[in-house]
Amino acid sequence: MTTALLIIHGLLAVALLGAITHQAVSVWLPARKPAGSFVGRFRAVPGVSYANAVVVLYLITAVLGGIIYAEYRVSVRVVLEQLELWKTNGVFELKEHFAALGLGMLPAYWFYWRAPLADEHARTRAVLTGLLAFIVWWNFLAGHILNNVRGFGS
Amino acid sequence: MTIPRSFPVFAIVFAVAYAVAYAISVHNNYALFTYHPALNEFGVGVQKPKDGPAMYWYGWLATAGIVASVAGLLACYLPQRLTSRLRPSFSWAVPLAVMVFFAYLLRGYFLR
Repeated sequence: MTTALLIIHGLLAVALLGAITHQAVSVWLPARKPAGSFVGRFRAVPGVSYANAVVVLYLITAVLGGIIYAEYRVSVRVVLEQLELWKTNGVFELKEHFAALGLGMLPAYWFYWRAPLADEHARTRAVLTGLLAFIVWWNFLAGHILNNVRGFGS
Repeated sequence: MTIPRSFPVFAIVFAVAYAVAYAISVHNNYALFTYHPALNEFGVGVQKPKDGPAMYWYGWLATAGIVASVAGLLACYLPQRLTSRLRPSFSWAVPLAVMVFFAYLLRGYFLR
């Protein structure tokens, strides 16, 4: 059951990673001219269309992460401590705190991404999106590393 | 969908109060409840580990969530001359500062 939840958690995290990265790139590196290349089209997406998806995906991914966290605490963290993998352990500790702090920013993030977008809130929108993107990337990579430490099904 | 005019006040205060309350909860261990994963058991408040580790993270989230919700709702009833001093940048600056605080707090893991 935990393995199935872990896989769903990972798949949702991939979707969230794609959505928030698209949006972050669209606000931090917007396309200045009609997009022709793959990278250009990546930068030219309308960021506003991702906001609701990001909020929903973040919440569901966090809830699933919270459910499998208990198994991690019992079966994985103990091994990391026995192997003295302190940095790996620290990366996960930051993951849990960053994920929690991201939850607190979601109402503001959602509000400042409501259409029509207010120009005076462009910086707030950009920084909130950038911070959430950083959290999602950190948590995704940390989860990936943690999963690889013991290996699938070990 | 229409949202209340006071929602931006709620959102900013929620983001600030949540980040601060979460940091204080973790630092002083003010978990609303404890989960004992090995026993699949919840307990009220901060409890010592029994037959396996004790998890406080869920309790910290609950503490921060309740504090932030109450603070955000109360802020909606403040007069506009006070709420107009709230800057949208508070909604990211305070959580960012708390993220740096946690990186500092957990530096021991990376400096061994």
